[in-house]
Amino acid sequence: MNERNERIHGVACTFRRPSDVFHAAERVRDAGWKCWDVHTPFPIHGMDQAMGLPRSPIPRLTLLGGVTGFLTGCLLTWYMNSYDYPLIVGGKPYWSVIFPFPVLYECTILFAAFGTFFGQFIFNRLPHHHHPLFDLPQFSRVSDDTFMIVLEARDANFHLDESRNFLLSLGGQEITVIRD
Amino acid sequence: MRDSSSSPSAHPITAHWKKFLVLGLMGLGVSWFFAFQGMLEHHHRPLLSVLVGGLFWVSVLIGLLMLTMITRVFDAGWAPVVRRSWELVLPALPLVLLLSVVPMALLPKFRHLLWDWTDASHLLPNGHEVGHDPILQAKSWFLNENFFLGRIFGYVVILGGLVWALRKWSFAQDTDRTAGHTHRLHAISAVGIPLGAVTLTMLAFDCLMALSYHWFSTMYGVWFFALSIRLALAFTVIITYRLSHGGWLDGIFNQAHRHVLGCLMLAFTVFWAYISFSQYFLIYTANIPEETYWYNIREFDSITGLKNQWWSVSMYLVFGFFLLPFLILLFYRTKIIAGRLLSVAWLIFFGGLVDLWFNAVPRQIADKSGPEGFIVAPFLTPHLFLDLAALLGFGGIVIAVFLRGASRHETIPVHDPRILESINYHE
Repeated sequence: MNERNERIHGVACTFRRPSDVFHAAERVRDAGWKCWDVHTPFPIHGMDQAMGLPRSPIPRLTLLGGVTGFLTGCLLTWYMNSYDYPLIVGGKPYWSVIFPFPVLYECTILFAAFGTFFGQFIFNRLPHHHHPLFDLPQFSRVSDDTFMIVLEARDANFHLDESRNFLLSLGGQEITVIRD
Repeated sequence: MRDSSSSPSAHPITAHWKKFLVLGLMGLGVSWFFAFQGMLEHHHRPLLSVLVGGLFWVSVLIGLLMLTMITRVFDAGWAPVVRRSWELVLPALPLVLLLSVVPMALLPKFRHLLWDWTDASHLLPNGHEVGHDPILQAKSWFLNENFFLGRIFGYVVILGGLVWALRKWSFAQDTDRTAGHTHRLHAISAVGIPLGAVTLTMLAFDCLMALSYHWFSTMYGVWFFALSIRLALAFTVIITYRLSHGGWLDGIFNQAHRHVLGCLMLAFTVFWAYISFSQYFLIYTANIPEETYWYNIREFDSITGLKNQWWSVSMYLVFGFFLLPFLILLFYRTKIIAGRLLSVAWLIFFGGLVDLWFNAVPRQIADKSGPEGFIVAPFLTPHLFLDLAALLGFGGIVIAVFLRGASRHETIPVHDPRILESINYHE
């Protein structure tokens, strides 16, 4: 079985209506699938819950980036103004949290943005120049009038014939095997 | 439009409006009584209680007015079910002005006591009288009593007119089902936002900044706007919490509405901090005595030179009114769990009061015992109880107006073109 599966990315199945794909997604979720996805031409409200998706971990990287940025700003201004080249400007202290605050919050925002931007790169596994789904003629229609569920071969539940039958039982229209 | 509070479809909790009216009148009676006593003894602090209590609710209501117009202009799909509650409470805005700032400005004895610059014989810390103050003479094109009274009158008319217009066509839509009213309200709001912005800026200048008329800050109007929106959002979270637990928003107000309000609370917490800090930062950096004294009397005791109680108040603003709500609101779950969002809303509600205390109360009182010719009253005085009475008084009036309105109008805009989008609003 493994030899056969090695060159298979997964099984794709099209649906004609948002409600069909929504309820199908709930049943895939309840069957315990982890490596699978739903493709739709427009956002479907409640799909996150129907797929059982957790919240994105990216906000944690944003927070981490922000804290790093704030501390970097503190270090930068302290090192320059108070340690490496102590300089009195306008009668203000060498270093306090007040006068360099614009620097501190700009650094906070910059690094928080870095955390967010590179965080989504990491979690989306970008850059990713090609994907096996792009070879599928039906896939271009999920940006138009078709809804699609893809069950991936790397999921522990995956078994080509059973997965195909499972998708048919969910009310799927057209089943296609995707090869790597 | 139904015309009777005994209408069968009026929600039972609207029947409580009379209790709030009684509470309001009692609070107002107590605070105005002491303000009158203070006036006889030539003591300004009891009058400040009425000002702080009144301006707290004026601030809440101006924030609600701006939010009403902003959600109209941006066609906010989430807003209609919440906005109707704003429209129901808004008539309290001209009413609170008429019960607080207007009589203070109109009656000369109160006016002279509260606004030093209107009293030519008032003694300044430098030993001169206000009447001979060259700084006031230079500003007299703006700070003269006729123009001042005209402006106060103008605030009531402009804000009252906006409230009237925004309510009239919104309620008309309930009965005649005309979608064109939404376009009309869009246009009114587009004009009303700049009009409201100028009005609230001038109101902040006249009612708060002019309490220390030597001092000036161009950020002051924006600060008052930021404070108003924060208070308005906190007020909205508090009333929608109550209204969605056994009120008319039960089953209508959902997690996504809460999330939107939480996000706005976070945004305006940051905006308030940005504006307040910028004002401090510019004055700190420029270091000009006529600007820095305003912050100095809020930090140092004029006799000992040590930190005074107002310094603790300002630290509360930094950590309790900005940092704590900011950190709590960063978390997604804070914004969707009703009880947590309610706690933050109360924190912001209290912080707004502290910010008004910080801005309105400290002033230089000419006194020879101080080395610089003045003293500043401490923060902790028994007058805080009077502030509380005024706060509850005006608050009672506001809630009474709200509940009475809710008994006479639809409590959600049933024929708003976006009502279904609003009810089914999703994150």
